[in-house]
Amino acid sequence: MIAFACSITKPEVYARCAEPGIRRVAEADSRVHAVPAVGSIFHSYNALLDTAAEWDGLEALVLAHQDTEIVSSDFCARVRAGLAGPEVGVVGCVGAIGVRSIAWWEASVTQASFINRYEEHGGGDLESFSWDWNEAPPYARIGEVETLDGFLLALSPWTVQNIRFDESLGEFHGYDLDFCLQVRAAGRKVRTVDVRAIHHRPLEMLPDPEQWADAHVAVAEKWEGRTPGLPPLPGTWEQRARRAEAERDRAFAKARWHDLEADARVLELERALAETRGSVSWRLTAPFRRLSHPHPAPPRRR
Amino acid sequence: MIAFGLSIVESEPYRRFSGPGLRRVMEADSELYAFGSVGLTARTYNLILDAAAGRDDLEGLVLVHPHAQITDPSFCAKARQVLADPEVALAGGVGASRVQTLAWWRSPAISGPLTHHYHEFGEGEFQGFSWVRPEPGSGEVGAVDGVLMVLSPWAVRNVRFDDSLVHGYGFDVDYCLQVRAAGRKIVVADFELTVHDELDLIEKPEVWVEAHIQLAEKWEGRWPGVPPDTRDWKERARRAEAEREAARAMAFSRELVVDARVEGQERELEEATSSFPWRLTAPLRQLNKARLDAAARRRASRS
Repeated sequence: MIAFACSITKPEVYARCAEPGIRRVAEADSRVHAVPAVGSIFHSYNALLDTAAEWDGLEALVLAHQDTEIVSSDFCARVRAGLAGPEVGVVGCVGAIGVRSIAWWEASVTQASFINRYEEHGGGDLESFSWDWNEAPPYARIGEVETLDGFLLALSPWTVQNIRFDESLGEFHGYDLDFCLQVRAAGRKVRTVDVRAIHHRPLEMLPDPEQWADAHVAVAEKWEGRTPGLPPLPGTWEQRARRAEAERDRAFAKARWHDLEADARVLELERALAETRGSVSWRLTAPFRRLSHPHPAPPRRR
Repeated sequence: MIAFGLSIVESEPYRRFSGPGLRRVMEADSELYAFGSVGLTARTYNLILDAAAGRDDLEGLVLVHPHAQITDPSFCAKARQVLADPEVALAGGVGASRVQTLAWWRSPAISGPLTHHYHEFGEGEFQGFSWVRPEPGSGEVGAVDGVLMVLSPWAVRNVRFDDSLVHGYGFDVDYCLQVRAAGRKIVVADFELTVHDELDLIEKPEVWVEAHIQLAEKWEGRWPGVPPDTRDWKERARRAEAEREAARAMAFSRELVVDARVEGQERELEEATSSFPWRLTAPLRQLNKARLDAAARRRASRS
């Protein structure tokens, strides 16, 4: 039996995103355990694991964020295949190797089979690189990784029985990397599988950078020098501090300049639109537009 | 006498931007030290300082970036006014207090009436240094940006740019730190200035990182007005590495937001211009454009 579990802080988001996906892929005997969150995600997920550990016949426990919509109709079959063999502890659809911190996306990402569906600026979809395998880059592949993105995880029964999220690490960030590191430290494998999901989330990746930085430090402290397969970072602490402070400031500047560039690009387009709509041609053709579009079109989903 | 100095790498920006500005504001007796660049701006500026230091009648030396156009008709009067305070050694158009890295703009900033004229995306103007998010105003600061530096005679004769900062970035921040370490004041004044610059402001980001490190090593533990960092190196490294990754993620997020914003606008423009009636009236627009172009040519030939 493949079970689905979700920790909910916003019931309307669960109803709109995770629930339809789970209904789409769940099998007749699947258990769905969607319950309100109880504190941090670490604590909430541990509560879900404790519950699932009691279930007989468990083949896999799928942990989905409330804003994760599973798309693959053969999800359960693919998860079963991915977890086949006693050596696999956890699978997901986004993973990376060469991971040095909770910023796993800075490492070599091998699979990213999801869409980021956002609502800002009229809404839209950002397809990640292996959403469509026909258009995937050469480095996209399914297989063993060092970490998975926690928005969708499927745990083996062994993992449900033996591994827990580390509640000392904070509220939210870094739980997925730490969990994968624990699984690997216990001798089990972390793998990606060919399933797809939609992550309904804003484009802003880090709404709480201070909390995120705290988690980054906490996970780094915990795993320093004992990350499986990863040598310690080069340089003295002073050298590391100097370089990181410089690169931090450069990145802050880059973020600000993106705003500047956006303003310039939007201004250019606004000028073009104003020029178009202020032209004689536009006024001449107004009756035709009214005929062909009596009501304004809603924003288009891409 | 108020003198003006430039380090010129290419003639074109001087001809188009700083030159016309200087012609507008220089006084009859003003000296212009327009020196060809000798590599580092710091080194060229020191040559200018050496030349200006010998003038007994020097009231101030204005160092202007070639892409900066002074647009303030009262510029010299304002420069005299701020330098009238003997404690003030340096004034600029934009600056920040509590500067503790090469990234002076990460501290609270204030700015005079500056304009940023960009030439990408069909050209346009923003408030100058808007990416720094400065408060409008004037007053004492820890450092000013090197796009415009108004030096007192004392500064010209006693403080030199550090040409051992070999990466090219940070000569301005370092000069400010030297001025403050010597006990003098730096202010932002309400100079009107237009900076003609690109939207991507660090041309060589890897070199900028090295410059950041070099400046940090030079001033470690003695940044004027900032208490020394008492954390050990490991703690500092951990925090900085975390903040670096957070900043990178935020920069990436902003890129996504930019793309989403622009795509929304592009869709609207595409919808506006792809309709059948719009395409039907294309010959009218072509005709109108040809008429306007011809009129422009006639005006140009008459002038």
